[in-house]
Amino acid sequence: MSAFGVLLRKELSEIRRTWRIWVLPAILLFIAVTSPILAEITPELVRSLASDQPGVVIELPDPAPLDSYRQLVSQLSQIGLLALIITTAGIVSAEVRSGTAILVLTKPVSRRAFVLAKVVAQLILLAAATVLAALVCWAGTLAIFGEAPAGELVAAAGLWLLVAAGFVCLMTLFSTLVTAQAGAAGAGIAAYFVLSILAGWGPAQRWTPAGVFHATSAVIDGARPELAGPILTTLVLGALAVAAAVRRLDRAELAARARAT
Amino acid sequence: MFGTTRALDGIDLDVPAGSVFGFLGPNGAGKSTALNILAGLSRPTAGSARIFGHDVTTTPDAVRALIGYLPDVPGFYGWMTGAELLRFSGELFGLRGRELDERVVALIDLAGLTGVETLVGGYSRGMRQRLGMAQALINAPRLLLLDEPTSALDPIGRKNVLDMIAALAGRTTIFFSTHILADVQRVCDRVAILDRGRVVIEAPIDALLERAGPRDLRLELGSPEDAATLAAAVVGSDWLVERRLEGTQLVLTVTDLDAALRAVPGLVSGRGLLLRRLEPVEASLEQVFVDLIGEDGR
Repeated sequence: MSAFGVLLRKELSEIRRTWRIWVLPAILLFIAVTSPILAEITPELVRSLASDQPGVVIELPDPAPLDSYRQLVSQLSQIGLLALIITTAGIVSAEVRSGTAILVLTKPVSRRAFVLAKVVAQLILLAAATVLAALVCWAGTLAIFGEAPAGELVAAAGLWLLVAAGFVCLMTLFSTLVTAQAGAAGAGIAAYFVLSILAGWGPAQRWTPAGVFHATSAVIDGARPELAGPILTTLVLGALAVAAAVRRLDRAELAARARAT
Repeated sequence: MFGTTRALDGIDLDVPAGSVFGFLGPNGAGKSTALNILAGLSRPTAGSARIFGHDVTTTPDAVRALIGYLPDVPGFYGWMTGAELLRFSGELFGLRGRELDERVVALIDLAGLTGVETLVGGYSRGMRQRLGMAQALINAPRLLLLDEPTSALDPIGRKNVLDMIAALAGRTTIFFSTHILADVQRVCDRVAILDRGRVVIEAPIDALLERAGPRDLRLELGSPEDAATLAAAVVGSDWLVERRLEGTQLVLTVTDLDAALRAVPGLVSGRGLLLRRLEPVEASLEQVFVDLIGEDGR
């Protein structure tokens, strides 16, 4: 097994044996479980609130399976992405700070392998959690509504996964640029808001990752936007972010804990 | 360079194979900087560093395959056991199968961690440092780089780590930075003293101790009068540098300890004095260090 393989196995073991297995998957699963329920009860809740106000009449369509998916994507795009940003803010810097990076990087291991193993492990965790969340949401939708079209869910979850993977790459870069985990998280949240704003702007939808972000909800409504450009730029920017992270770590002094004596 | 300060300046050390080489210096002398460069954690802004002929900057993997490294405060994955950490370290060197199993068992034993099932996160500082030594030895390195391995330990932890170093002497070349002179005197056979980024002296430890010059002979006599009588009797001896009388104690600073030891008993018995104790005081590395670096340490 190559050094990359050894490091990847260690990363996956670390996910399995520490808090990391619980945080992101748990949040995504919670969203998946609650989305069909919220889709079912939201119209009823609104009607009951409106009935307390004399003269107010609110007409709402009956809930449908696609409302469940809209809830899922909406919450994944807010809570899910923010949780991802916060949990990956120290993806590299945490090991540099704790000194474990020194333990590894004084062995015949490249810094590229060190970073790539982290990114790949995080992407595996993210993909597994997303697939599980989509399955749970689909099952919940079927149970509550009696039908659950798969196509829209697969498309929306796949596009969300691509956006989230882009954020993993971006956070990897931020965690090599900013030593403090809170600082990297702040930068990631700022990037999230920029992406949210760009998602509402037509030109950005056509050529940037904002188009993928926008499409996660649009595909549920039956839209079929042209996504080749946004998907390509998301993949390229993600790869560039990881490459920049490797370059940054390659040039970094790792003896932060050691006293300069 | 750190800003405008030259952290290291023209260091050239010849570390004999199998030796325990002490790399001494006051805080800020450049010891850790040198070790960080040798371990590939820092890059020199100018110049180069070589280990076994391999440039540490241009061929880092070749160097890392030959060395083991332990920082002063090692970081570990707290969710692993000690054996898992050694196995992981070994796999990074490409070790597999039975060879790896045997090394893990042997090093866990060397570190005194046999039977310890606790996760590393629950280890004491001394256990962590011994585990750090073990992981640095997993590839049977030709050179073991230890950066102040005892500086953060309590006396028992320090003794255990020094015992490990002593046990490795002759089998592995050990390059050991510290500012704890007693540790160096105990386990090292060769020493370099670094000050302001420059090596001020490099020599076998015995030769350094020779430099300490006059040594003391401490005597305790039966009464202050006896001590005063002996103090008067030694005047004119060609081995005497200085004498200090403190009640029943007489401290003689001498140029030739053997000559003094031969002469003093005769002077005592010839005058009917009562000698309760006679103790030669060994020269210490501390004296040499202070002579070279100065009382203020910088």
